Amino acid sequence: MTKPPHRDGDDAWIDGMLDDLARTPVPETPDDLMARVMDDAYGMLPAPGGRSAPDPWWRQVVDGIGGWTAVGGLVAAAATGFVVGLGSLESVGVTTPWTMSYETYYDSPGSLDAFGWDMEEG
Amino acid sequence: MPLDTDPHTDDADLLAAYARGDAGAARLLTVRLTPRAFGQAVRMLGDTGEAEDVAQEAMMRLWRIAPDWRHGEAKVTTWLFRVVANLCTDRLRKRGRGAMPLDAVAEPEDPTPSVEARMQEDARHTALRSALAALPERQRIAVTMRHFEGASNPEIGEALGISTEAVESLTARGKRALAAALKGQAAALGYEEG
Repeated sequence: MTKPPHRDGDDAWIDGMLDDLARTPVPETPDDLMARVMDDAYGMLPAPGGRSAPDPWWRQVVDGIGGWTAVGGLVAAAATGFVVGLGSLESVGVTTPWTMSYETYYDSPGSLDAFGWDMEEG
Repeated sequence: MPLDTDPHTDDADLLAAYARGDAGAARLLTVRLTPRAFGQAVRMLGDTGEAEDVAQEAMMRLWRIAPDWRHGEAKVTTWLFRVVANLCTDRLRKRGRGAMPLDAVAEPEDPTPSVEARMQEDARHTALRSALAALPERQRIAVTMRHFEGASNPEIGEALGISTEAVESLTARGKRALAAALKGQAAALGYEEG
């Protein structure tokens, strides 16, 4: 009798059994099997010019743009453009919460509405 | 045996070429994938004759699916691994219905240590194969991909469409189930209890 090949944990001997089975030498693939598989492959070979299934739409879009690298560049450029666009709103006279300083925000009429201070002061 | 003369071409590209009627792609895929399918089947079944049938059937299914194969949805090798695993499981379960209990296996006539050890090793492998066949499919795929293919958790996760954490949990449950199934046979398999 042998002890189970213990490692850490209760199921470690199962790892040993699985590894042992995985190490079992596998015989060379028989030539006649290779020949049979090859015969099947040639027997079922579609006619030349046959079409494989079309790629899914998202893959066609990605390939059309130029691959995943191009998609990454496009996303980065779009994000940068969006941030730059937000920052430049102030220069064309649009006031937004993220272009205001702390003081400007609390002095603006919009900031009073939420608390009803404009109502209290008449 | 012919050699893989174009090892850099992706399996999925070759399969697409096969679907367009390229005989060279048929030859390359056969050379590349048949030994893989055969090796996996031998490990899972322990019988080269049956393993040959399984490998041929799995490759037949590959040729059949080629025109409908969608590039990028799965790796060809992963798909083939699952097909072989399922074909082997079907055979092991059929075999299990008529199997002899381990206690009924005859003692070797020549009780030299090597023969006895060999028989005990065969009994361990047989018991393990049966226990693997009884696991739910995803647990079996996770455990065998890890141990037979040396696949990493992210690779197994990709094959099964689950997260790395889920793979760890699945594998752990699979091994616990194997341990539970084999624990009662520890003595018959040559292991001391505890």
